[in-house]
Amino acid sequence: MPSYNAPLRDMRFVLHEVLGVGNYQNLPGFEDASPDTVDAVIEEGAKFAQEVLQPINQSGDREGCKWDAGNVTTPKGFKEAYKQYCEGGWTGLTSLKEYGGQGLPYYVGVLLSEIVTSANMAWGMYPGLSHGAYEAIAAHGSDELKKTYLPKLVSGEWTGTMNLTEPHCGTDLGLMRTKAEPQPDGSYRITGTKIFISAGEHDMTDNIVHLVLAKIVGGPEGIRGVSLFIVPKFLPNADGSPGERNGVSCGSIEHKMGIKANATAVLNYDNAKGWLVGKAHKGMRGMFTMMNAARLGVGVQGLGLAEVSYQNGLAYAKERVQGRSLGGIKAPDKAADPIIVHPDVRRMLLTCKAFTEGARMLTYWAGLNVDLAHKHPDAMARREADDLLGLITPIVKAYQTDMGFECANLAMQCLGGHGYIAEWGMEQFVRDARIAQIYEGANGVQALDLVGRKLPANMGRSLRTFFHPLDAFLKEQAADAAMKDFIGPLLRAFGRLQQATALIAEKGMADAEEAGAASSDYLRLFALTAVGWMWAKMARVAIDKLAAGGGEDPGFYRTKLATARFFMERMLPDTASLQQKIQAGKRTLMELDAAAF
Amino acid sequence: MSAFKKVAVLGSGVMGGGIAAHVANAGIPVMLLDIVPQGANNRNQLAEAALGRLKKTNPAALMSDRAAGLIQPGNFEDDLSRIGDCDWIVEAVIERVDLKQELYRKVAAAMKPTAIVSSNTSTIPLGTLVEGLPEAFANRFAITHFFNPPRYMRLLEVVKGPRTEDDVLPALRRFGDVALGKAVIDCKDTPGFVGNRIGIFWSTVAMSQAMSLGLTVEEADSVVGKPMGIPKTGIFGLGDLTGIDLAPHVSASMLKLLPPDDPYCKIYDANGQLAQTIQWMIGQGLTGRKGKGGFYRQDKAADGSRTRLTLDYATRTYRPTRRAELASVKAARKGLRALVEHPDKGGQYAWAVLSRVLAYAAELAPEIANSIADVDTAMKTGYAWKWGPFEQLDLVGPKWFADRLRAEGKPVPRLIEAVGAGTFYKEEGAARLIFTPEGRYAELKPAAGAWKLADVKRGKQPVLSNKGASIWDLGDGVACLELHTKMNAIDANIVAMVREAAKLDKKGFKALVIGHDGDNFSVGANIGLGLFAANTAMWPVIEQNIKEGQDAYRALRNAPFPVVGAPSGMALGGGCEILMHCDAVQAHAESYIGLVEVGVGLIPGWGGTTTLLTRWMQNAKRPQGPMPAISQAFEIIGTAQVARSAAEAKEKLLLRPSDGITMNRDRVLADAKAKALAMVPGYKPAEPAEIFLPGATARTALAMAVEGFRLQGKATPHDVTVMAALARVLSGGDVDILDPVKETDLLALERAVFLSLIKTNATLDRIEHMLTTGKPLRN
Ligand SMILES: Cc1cc2nc3c(=O)[nH]c(=O)nc-3n(C[C@H](O)[C@H](O)[C@H](O)COP(=O)(O)OP(=O)(O)OC[C@H]3O[C@@H](n4cnc5c(N)ncnc54)[C@H](O)[C@@H]3O)c2cc1C
Repeated sequence: MPSYNAPLRDMRFVLHEVLGVGNYQNLPGFEDASPDTVDAVIEEGAKFAQEVLQPINQSGDREGCKWDAGNVTTPKGFKEAYKQYCEGGWTGLTSLKEYGGQGLPYYVGVLLSEIVTSANMAWGMYPGLSHGAYEAIAAHGSDELKKTYLPKLVSGEWTGTMNLTEPHCGTDLGLMRTKAEPQPDGSYRITGTKIFISAGEHDMTDNIVHLVLAKIVGGPEGIRGVSLFIVPKFLPNADGSPGERNGVSCGSIEHKMGIKANATAVLNYDNAKGWLVGKAHKGMRGMFTMMNAARLGVGVQGLGLAEVSYQNGLAYAKERVQGRSLGGIKAPDKAADPIIVHPDVRRMLLTCKAFTEGARMLTYWAGLNVDLAHKHPDAMARREADDLLGLITPIVKAYQTDMGFECANLAMQCLGGHGYIAEWGMEQFVRDARIAQIYEGANGVQALDLVGRKLPANMGRSLRTFFHPLDAFLKEQAADAAMKDFIGPLLRAFGRLQQATALIAEKGMADAEEAGAASSDYLRLFALTAVGWMWAKMARVAIDKLAAGGGEDPGFYRTKLATARFFMERMLPDTASLQQKIQAGKRTLMELDAAAF
Repeated sequence: MSAFKKVAVLGSGVMGGGIAAHVANAGIPVMLLDIVPQGANNRNQLAEAALGRLKKTNPAALMSDRAAGLIQPGNFEDDLSRIGDCDWIVEAVIERVDLKQELYRKVAAAMKPTAIVSSNTSTIPLGTLVEGLPEAFANRFAITHFFNPPRYMRLLEVVKGPRTEDDVLPALRRFGDVALGKAVIDCKDTPGFVGNRIGIFWSTVAMSQAMSLGLTVEEADSVVGKPMGIPKTGIFGLGDLTGIDLAPHVSASMLKLLPPDDPYCKIYDANGQLAQTIQWMIGQGLTGRKGKGGFYRQDKAADGSRTRLTLDYATRTYRPTRRAELASVKAARKGLRALVEHPDKGGQYAWAVLSRVLAYAAELAPEIANSIADVDTAMKTGYAWKWGPFEQLDLVGPKWFADRLRAEGKPVPRLIEAVGAGTFYKEEGAARLIFTPEGRYAELKPAAGAWKLADVKRGKQPVLSNKGASIWDLGDGVACLELHTKMNAIDANIVAMVREAAKLDKKGFKALVIGHDGDNFSVGANIGLGLFAANTAMWPVIEQNIKEGQDAYRALRNAPFPVVGAPSGMALGGGCEILMHCDAVQAHAESYIGLVEVGVGLIPGWGGTTTLLTRWMQNAKRPQGPMPAISQAFEIIGTAQVARSAAEAKEKLLLRPSDGITMNRDRVLADAKAKALAMVPGYKPAEPAEIFLPGATARTALAMAVEGFRLQGKATPHDVTVMAALARVLSGGDVDILDPVKETDLLALERAVFLSLIKTNATLDRIEHMLTTGKPLRN
């Protein structure tokens, strides 16, 4: 059975030593987030995840959710764990105090969800989706809706869902058919079928708040006619208790590859009563609020699964003895050396480690920028944070979920045949990790978002928030010999990214297919450069700490530097081949007729 | 055929004043006379008031202060006796035969016998005007019909009578063409001549068909607008612009003059919705932009916000303006034919207008004009159509047009029958042919000295070419560098071609002209690409681009042969800098030249700052000491001044005093070529300048000026940064007044300062704003 220990030391390193989140405490909305408070919260969260959530991860997977006549039963222990989670106040950790939340910054929630995902991804999605619903209503809902729903979502009494997908409409939401008919009382009647709705039905709470995209009858065609609605499973009574059953029912749940303990529901809306959130036909605006946060959240899932897979692969590699080290026997007292001596096993483990630690920093940095984009008192600082966030959200989502799957797979490989056996729990990580590459916008669509929307937006202004500080960092560090191992490779990767960006700007503007053909490779090139920058920053801190004696644990910083070098020498060079692929253009991709495949 | 040395304009109304201003723009003294108003103290009151208005109109009627000084206001009673030395007397008084004739008799008594008299009438036949007047007067009389505003509208229609002597029209034509820069066409003495005859029919058809087919005003304007090659104001918007109250007068005079079987008399319906609507509008004071609104109007709410409203002519009420969304208008991107073939109401409407107007033009052409090319020219230059009627027929296909008319049971004009499956214009090798009413093709040759680059290019290959620019052989050893990017924005391709152009002596050329047929010489560097490079911190690339631009432009100036710039329209930023590196410029009078880089938070970095400074420093007329020259350059660049004419560009030294000005757009290239050839004998490239600059002391002085602007709220925070950067270059950087500053030093400063600015967020925000909104950001 796998185990999990939250990487608290590494989390603190990123938060306090590199990002210096304590420096923001004077900003509005950060008041309560003193470094001590944040550390305490995370430690408590880690304890909860390790003790309550992780033990029901494997059993939850085996048992799965059960559907019976429209009702869904979650696996054993899920309901109880949820109750405890609510009682601990975790559901409202980053929600506004006026709705009963604790008002901590968004980034603290990011840390918590990393831990929860590592411990039990399928379970974590129930409260995760509630928080998405909370954000959409808080940002766009009327006062009335906020008053009715937000306290319930914050306390965890009710959960939330996001309903976009329909049988014929996934990526292309313009094809949506679910319709909304205005009623004299100002509400709407919603009719249609939504599929693949995570946490769409379950037994953990007595009400579920569905956020549903639908088209108001007679509105504009396509995506411009989509509006956002709240459709509760039970219509709330005046006193806030769940009342009459609404016209929404769960037709079935899917049998699927992973996250089996999270119900993926078909929801049938039959004249269900709903209320408009935000403006008519501006539903995508409301969705985007949820989506940016949700996409970061899915990126965190990639990170969380890579971390837990790595921990278990590593433990096994230290224990399992097979063959002798090519560099001479390491464990003469044993029949063979532990497999961690083998270069190729190390390659797998270090790939996971270097990714996880680099991505952790990228993720927390993004999380911090969510806070800055919303709360910074200076409008220009808000704009810059928002620009940066828009740019790196698709990168965090796609790169980290691709790598989350890759790392789960590598870690499983470390176990050899045992990795393939359910009992060890490694194959579950692989299966669970896989969905993150698909939902919340398939990764190919993230890449398209990056080149098609984020790059050209405001004539490339968002790029400035990434390229300028990185350029300045490289110039600043160039003279320092201690940084040579990091700055050289990063400089080359940065040059490739600059050239690829120029190429896409030039070719892609004339021919959108060129931009599409470059998109996935470009996203990966961008991601590697970004993580390379994160690593260089971490290296800078580690060098300075070691120069100052290294404190209690100089080994931690030495390991950081070694891992940073691994990233620079063995992961970042992928940027060279990515650049070549980008330069190749669309020709070979588009040459064949569909029939010729 | 001597040009006119002095001119008199009689009548100082909108047309008379405008004509006088434009004669003055040509550098010719002009008397502007009008009546003495009853009981006036100032006997010149009317003409002087007109002159006052001319100095203020927007767009400007006058090209320079000097031109204003050439207009001498006067009155009919005191000053007619002084017209004896005028070569040309233009009458532009109100359209009353009795008043005009009374004036003519006085003119006849005062003019010299060789002078020419013409009327700017648009509604009175020439025959009527000279009826009963002495033979000697009728011999010297013609009609010269200008379009409003005379400075900007290129059409000039000239008409002679049976008694007009042979030298009169050639003299008028030549003067109109060369001195005034007009497209002159010979017309017959028929009502409305060519432009208005077709134009009035067209506007009546376009408005009345919109109403009978039930299109909204916006829908009609979205069709009879860009898709049909009409300025984007559209047909109803045009009505608002010219004045709704004019319409009844125009139609009344046409109805009076035209034979009753003319199609205009048939389509004009005095009781129809159009005439009724217009009558109602005039009654309500809704006379267009000058009145309380017209088909469109702006409403200002109490909070200062504006809403654009549109007249719903059916209910005679205003409602918020709605964007028209017609599928046919989208289809029109594929061409005029796609528009008129589209089944929606926009397509039907387009066909209703096009079929009637083109048939009318084709039917009339032989009767009212000497050639179909004249008809096309009239509509393009008098009504700003993109294509003349016969060019439109060629676009849709004359045979297709005829077949559709036939299918609808409508008569097919003889000329369209005659052209059959052919087209009205065609090209054969280097020749352009035109279909004549006799049913043959004749070669259409440009007038001497009035060719376009298109005439040179036809049927030929360029000497060199890339995506942004090409080099053509103009003959006589002269090459032409043509820019052809979008808006002729300067990009790497153009810079590369400039480098090639600087080596053309190796290909046997002895002079170079830089110019083309486009509306704008160049709007400046392509900052879109630059912005992307800057956003991604590609500083070395940007630095290299600046260096390459500087090097290429300098290579042009140092080339061992003369280089003459030939701009027209806008020549801004990097476009202006090309001109500043030419050995001479032959500019179209309507050239709008300026170094506008500070608008996007930059300074001219391709030698523009250096060259303008050097020009002011070397200006013989400047006061002592370097400061006045530095201040001039500082003000011109620092406030992004754009000269509103070539004449004004000379005042700012954006052009040299010795640079030439050509009034007629079609003559710019030929004049530039002639100028270049004249410079060939003994040509030596200019020596690079050395000047003495005061360094830090000048910066202090300029900084104080900027601080003043800031305190007055005239300079934004980033303006202060940009101006300080500019001051750094103009002061010579860290120099001592005793050391000469070399051109290369100044260029290096330009580069450094440019780079420091483009690294700032505020500059990049300005560039982004300019590119996305077309307006400068004041941050
Ligand atoms: C377990 C699970 C949970 C889910 N939870 C939810 C939920 O809670 N709420 C919800 O609304 N939905 C949910 N979904 C749906 C999920 O978001 C969609 O499956 C996903 O967006 C992809 O849509 P699709 O399946 O229709 O694939 P399609 O849109 O058909 O795409 C198929 C493939 O084509 C590619 N593709 C499509 N269009 C383009 C394009 N324009 N350019 C390039 N490539 C393109 C995609 O990248 C993808 O690889 C869930 C799905 C699953 C499996």
